[in-house]
Amino acid sequence: MPDQNSIRRLTFQNQLDELEKIHLAASEIVEQWNLPAHLGFTLDLVLEEAFTNIVLYAYNDKDQHEIIIEFENTGYTLLITLVDDGQPYDPTKKDDPDITAPLSEREVGGLGIFLIRKMMDDVRYERISNKNVLKLTKNYANEN
Amino acid sequence: MKISEQNIKNYTVVAIDGRLDTNHCDTFEKQMMEIVTRSNHLILDCKNLEYISSSGLRIFLVLQKKLMALSGQMKLCQLQPAIKEIFEISGFTMIFSIFSDLEKALES
Repeated sequence: MPDQNSIRRLTFQNQLDELEKIHLAASEIVEQWNLPAHLGFTLDLVLEEAFTNIVLYAYNDKDQHEIIIEFENTGYTLLITLVDDGQPYDPTKKDDPDITAPLSEREVGGLGIFLIRKMMDDVRYERISNKNVLKLTKNYANEN
Repeated sequence: MKISEQNIKNYTVVAIDGRLDTNHCDTFEKQMMEIVTRSNHLILDCKNLEYISSSGLRIFLVLQKKLMALSGQMKLCQLQPAIKEIFEISGFTMIFSIFSDLEKALES
């Protein structure tokens, strides 16, 4: 039985080498909250894709910024919220890549956000107080 | 992430070990591009590939395009279930030859 009503809020810098810490934090949460083990891979993937997008594309300056990642578990639903103070960007508006294109026409990028949408049950974006707020929801009641 | 390489029959078999994420993909891409200068018949053994993100998938696609241009060939084998799922979601199972084990990849 997963832990109910658990919440954890973590802050990271806008640097790609924070990915290692994010990976460790996600593994810890899966273990400590008794979540299904295979959720670890899903969490790693969606967090890496969302975080990397923010670090690479959200900022026009070279300054240090804080990116907040919040995890919340209630009733077999895991909600992950990423908050950054970068320029407005709504990833839910991005077109899906054509995954049926033959090799010669297949574009090499654009899979990150597509994978987030496919791996999660719900992806929502809001701009709140000059911040990008991305909410990713995963229901895992029927998974082992 | 590390790779090891051996020549079997006419193939260069590259075993990938570890996590292919944003922070490791540049090294992997450089190593693979160097191998492609020597061999254009590759088998990527993914038995110990634990994780892949879009940055790793991008390199698989770049390699496949490059080998096609060189009239070469790239096969994949022994994908772990979670990795296979990502390949299916991304439409990669349609553009890569994927085998359950190394022997089948070598014989086909």
